[in-house]
Amino acid sequence: MQDKQYAILWKENFNNFISSLSKLHKLAAPVFKGYNNYAFENVRSGQEIALKYIPTILPPKKFFMPVHETLLEYDFSRGLKADAVTEYEEIILFGVHTCDIAGIQCLNMVFSEHPQDQNYLIHSQNIKIIGLECNEYCDEFANCHLMNTHLPDGGYDIFFTDLGDYFIVHINTQAGEDIIKDTGFFMSAQSSHLNELASYREKKQAIFKNELPVELDLIHDLFDRSFESRIWDDLDERCLACGNCTNVCPTCYCFDIRDEINLHLTAGKRYRVWDSCQLGPFAKVAGGKNFRTTRKVRQRHRYYRKFRYPMDRFSRYFCTGCGRCSRSCMAGIRLKETLKSLIGSKEGAKA
Amino acid sequence: MGKPKVAFFDFACCEGCQLQVANMGEILLDILDIVDVVEFREVMSEKWGGELDIAIIEGSITDEHSVERIKEIRKRSGILIAYGSCATIGGVNGMKNNFDLDEIREYVYGSDFHFFPTKKTMAVHQVVKVDYSVIGCPVYIPEFVEVLKAVLQDIPYSVPDYAVCVECKQNENVCMYDKGVGCLGPVTRAGCNSWCVNNGNICYGCRGIVSGPNEKGAHDILSKYNIPLDLIKNKINMYNKCREIDQNAQ
Repeated sequence: MQDKQYAILWKENFNNFISSLSKLHKLAAPVFKGYNNYAFENVRSGQEIALKYIPTILPPKKFFMPVHETLLEYDFSRGLKADAVTEYEEIILFGVHTCDIAGIQCLNMVFSEHPQDQNYLIHSQNIKIIGLECNEYCDEFANCHLMNTHLPDGGYDIFFTDLGDYFIVHINTQAGEDIIKDTGFFMSAQSSHLNELASYREKKQAIFKNELPVELDLIHDLFDRSFESRIWDDLDERCLACGNCTNVCPTCYCFDIRDEINLHLTAGKRYRVWDSCQLGPFAKVAGGKNFRTTRKVRQRHRYYRKFRYPMDRFSRYFCTGCGRCSRSCMAGIRLKETLKSLIGSKEGAKA
Repeated sequence: MGKPKVAFFDFACCEGCQLQVANMGEILLDILDIVDVVEFREVMSEKWGGELDIAIIEGSITDEHSVERIKEIRKRSGILIAYGSCATIGGVNGMKNNFDLDEIREYVYGSDFHFFPTKKTMAVHQVVKVDYSVIGCPVYIPEFVEVLKAVLQDIPYSVPDYAVCVECKQNENVCMYDKGVGCLGPVTRAGCNSWCVNNGNICYGCRGIVSGPNEKGAHDILSKYNIPLDLIKNKINMYNKCREIDQNAQ
């Protein structure tokens, strides 16, 4: 029996598949950068790709909302002329982990809300995603089981699972089917392959376990009680406000809008650039008032933007469990430890 | 209205920041289109003793003669731009302030040091009012161009008041701390697009320290990464010794 939703790629054909795909499309995949760091970069061959990698320095959001993005070009040398700009390119991302696919799903929700963000949506329409399943934890910083992002749950075009000698590939969209067809190298999946996938997933249950002694459903209640917790004072002492945690977060999407005018002051462009609630000037408004002057309230805000506020608006948590904020924090602020402290605090005990 | 008259002046410095202007390439032609450079010792012989729309000052103030000279330039300039780390934060010249002035004079000039009067190194704003700052050693040309546009539009330019890490992470560099190297990015003001780290170097703190740095947190990080506190203090003081003058003035 064959299953049309699944295909097989033997490992010996992997490099051929990547070469063939990169000839048809611009392709980006995780690449090793040294010192246990990885980044999504353009690749042309399978050898460049790190199939086993821990979450990249920046998440794939950099393709969906580039760090700098021009939104408008204007010229007032002869009356005012202003044109909305969308810069995009078609690209395929290979090797996106389930946590990062969850991050993209979050961003899709945010930018599809009224008023829709056309620039984001155009990027999104032109990016195809090839997922890659994690067979084990990347490292001790991840909390993907708690966030329920360790297993595939849509949001991709095709999805690779490594089953030893071959990848079993789930085909989720027409674009995904085109990738399978256009590159060749894939074979139909037989029921034996699907059985192997089922037993692999069963084994995976023993590897991925809840990282913290709390039920996901109870976390937003925990945050309801923890606004005045002393845990936030501890973060105030440690945080340097470098903004690493938000820059690397797959679901942080805040941006600032700036103008750049030419030297003759006759034309220019308006662009957006990533911003961060962790930076002192972020909540500073006209008149010099700053709504979040301390590192404590800025860190607290970050946690509430992951575990409390999105529940009201999107009915989902905006933490994907990827661990990047913890991994990139020089001060050693670890998300799992913060949650653990909240659970163990007097506010947490009331649960 | 004619083109604004612009002059460059140098005090205690290496003149490298002015060289950045001479080397800026095509965009220099655009700038010369809109301003009239009347004095710029490094690239032209002409002098200008009259009124100026914009004075661009490189270098720090290190003796009485410089104090008089910068005051005189200030008097005849509409806008004064402190240009480069020496002018804006004191820069490497500030290292002099680590020593007793007589001791350091003797070290440099030998037994005749009394003929060479000196003062503690000061940034330009510690002597006269500064309207705009272009920080950096050397200045980052794209930022200089933005400051110039702000001057021409008569709007303020704010130096980003957050860490170099912000731009460095956005450039997706591997963190120097992951490489086991002490870097001043976490406490240094951004705006240079993490120029040094992009090119494999550490951040030396040439743009000054962010407002309200978390010193205790920074100490904890150094001990976590086994980086001696003195080493980092010396690194900070290499460019930022003159900030003590601002701190004492508060």
